[in-house]
Amino acid sequence: MIPTTEDRFDRSAGALAEEETLGIIAMLPAPAGLEDRIKAGIHSAPRRGMVIAWPFESPRNWIHSTGMRVAAAAAIVVAVAGGGWGVYSHIQVAPVPSAFVDPQLPNGAGRFSTAGAMHVPQTVEGPIVASPVPEKKVQETGKSSQKSPPISAKKSKAGGSNSATHEEPVR
Amino acid sequence: MEIVESAVHDEARQHAEEAALAALVDQYASTLYRVAFSVLRNQQDAEDAVQEAFLRVLRHRETLGEIRDHRVWLVRIVWNIVLDRKRRAKTRPETDDIADLSRVLPAKGLTAEQSASALQHHARVLQCVEKLPAREREVILLSAFEELSSVEIAAVLGVTESSVRSRLFRARNLLAELLQHKRSTK
Repeated sequence: MIPTTEDRFDRSAGALAEEETLGIIAMLPAPAGLEDRIKAGIHSAPRRGMVIAWPFESPRNWIHSTGMRVAAAAAIVVAVAGGGWGVYSHIQVAPVPSAFVDPQLPNGAGRFSTAGAMHVPQTVEGPIVASPVPEKKVQETGKSSQKSPPISAKKSKAGGSNSATHEEPVR
Repeated sequence: MEIVESAVHDEARQHAEEAALAALVDQYASTLYRVAFSVLRNQQDAEDAVQEAFLRVLRHRETLGEIRDHRVWLVRIVWNIVLDRKRRAKTRPETDDIADLSRVLPAKGLTAEQSASALQHHARVLQCVEKLPAREREVILLSAFEELSSVEIAAVLGVTESSVRSRLFRARNLLAELLQHKRSTK
């Protein structure tokens, strides 16, 4: 597309004198031989993917002949069928039993045993109630322990009343 | 027989494609080189970019018949290549820019002093162009090519023509500001 005069006028309107620098750079000529170098680069560029050639000589278009196509198809069929048969022949099917026997477990219920362990609940010790002791009797008993009374007196006291035995402090 | 005939057809088609590609190279290699150089500012890089563009065409040569405007299509290919290369390349030092420009810019009828001064000026402008936002920079670079109309620039960038015009307006304003700032700070 060739730019019109009007378009050029619009673009130059308001242009700075400093834009001349850009204009000079834009007008610089291309280096000599640029086209030839680019063409050479294009020619040397790889076109398609490289395929490693078979080292032996073979007639041209041999792969497109009918015989080769049939042979290739037959080879593919044989390879697939042979592979399938190889897999099938190596599979060993386990015999199916006529009846299933349940295994005997040590516990009838099939659970873990307690091994004789007993569960004992923890008990809480109740309060110990101590009976009150009168001071006099404690003093008497303190004296009696200091002086051992004669055996006859002991006997008379024992025969007279049972209060002494009752008043004996609980220790 | 069918196979032999198809092989002959393949060879004939291949020859036709090669001839078409060679014609494209003869016709547009120079334009593509200039487009590439305007971004890369290096002769070897620009030539490599053009080479890569034609190798891409070779890979997709089956679609050559479907292309309406080969020139815009090729410019678009090389434009994408150079932008990609520019993105990947490291920022070049200013001295390299000046050295490359001194090699390629015409200096006929100029004294050594004038030539050096012009070089400094060009380098300064290019630095300011590099500072522009990508969209504006692309438009102002492509607008420098007289053979590309605003419609074609729009086709290359994949935007509308009005967008090209508004971007060019912004780019010029920004460039003027940048150059003014540079002059005042000197």
